[in-house]
Amino acid sequence: MRLFVVLLAFLVGAASGIGLTWFASARGHGFGAIQIGAWTAWPKSGTADADPYARAAFARSGELPIELADGIAFVATTDDAGRALDGRCDIRIHGRLPPARLWTITVYDGRGRLIDNAAERYAYTSAEVVWNADRAVEIVLAPRARGGNWLPTGGRDRVTAVLRLYEAPVGIGSRSGDSAEMPSVKQERCP
Amino acid sequence: MRPYMLPALIGLVLGGLVHLVSVMALPRLALDDAHARLSQLGPMNRVSVIPDPTPFTATLPRMDPAFATAVCLYDLAGGALRVRVPTTPDYFSISFYTRHGLPYYAISDRAAGRRTVELDLMTAAQRAALPEDEEITAADRLIVESPSEEGIVLIRAFVRERGEREAVLARLSQAYCGSAG
Repeated sequence: MRLFVVLLAFLVGAASGIGLTWFASARGHGFGAIQIGAWTAWPKSGTADADPYARAAFARSGELPIELADGIAFVATTDDAGRALDGRCDIRIHGRLPPARLWTITVYDGRGRLIDNAAERYAYTSAEVVWNADRAVEIVLAPRARGGNWLPTGGRDRVTAVLRLYEAPVGIGSRSGDSAEMPSVKQERCP
Repeated sequence: MRPYMLPALIGLVLGGLVHLVSVMALPRLALDDAHARLSQLGPMNRVSVIPDPTPFTATLPRMDPAFATAVCLYDLAGGALRVRVPTTPDYFSISFYTRHGLPYYAISDRAAGRRTVELDLMTAAQRAALPEDEEITAADRLIVESPSEEGIVLIRAFVRERGEREAVLARLSQAYCGSAG
């Protein structure tokens, strides 16, 4: 009976501990996230002060984070209403962007890979995108070809949009981000 | 008290410890981290151009396809290294990471300013061992102090138009990473 009790304790310990680590390193990049609308960034993970959770997450995924002095990456996995981004819908990213020397918006599938398409279009950059008259941009992520700034999603059920701001002013990562203007993310025409 | 309560409670406390230890240990245990992936591209202390990511192959996850990228995995055990990178017409940056992918320094084209960025990469001990007269002439020399003997230098250059990609990649392939001299 005593052996059983000890074994049970160890089993619970190992399972809950490793499970928690698995879960924590698969989702997010540690503490200190800033969230603006649908977009989340982890400015601290791009510095030498990255916390152990951020280090573990990057070691596991193999990703090298953007150094905060270079820029900052905002990730959207949901729309403004909190629904997961679905590549079968039309996902409309619209609005003004925070100031930066240049930016890119890239769409990935649920596993962080680019999405195959005949046009070989995986991203828009501030140099290529067609701007609206009011300095806003509108980029539509959709399964079918369309006019304007279109990023193909190949109809994947889970997609992720990443907005990278290069040489952005330091304030955007250090403050709570209330002042930063980020584009809205809306889904329409879902099947 | 029920017979399962105590082992369950002890188990959860143990679980917390296992969790903390495994999170701390993960960077050392991860088999497929950035360093392991990049080491397949070429030898240490040499610049390798990272193939552009495609939907089917990507050296690292979530790379920015708008950039051309090159890497130098370094080991300072044999002495300080020189890193020389020709600038490209547009935004580019050189970022430094430890062996386990922790970023510790970055310099962009604006901070560098010249046609070629040249810097010396060394550990704190190697820097302390520099002869004093060299330390004086080092005023116009860019020295980057690596917190670890091994690490990663990532060179990323923005490609403004698709047609420029080949030219930017050609510039990056001229980058040098190796013994100073």
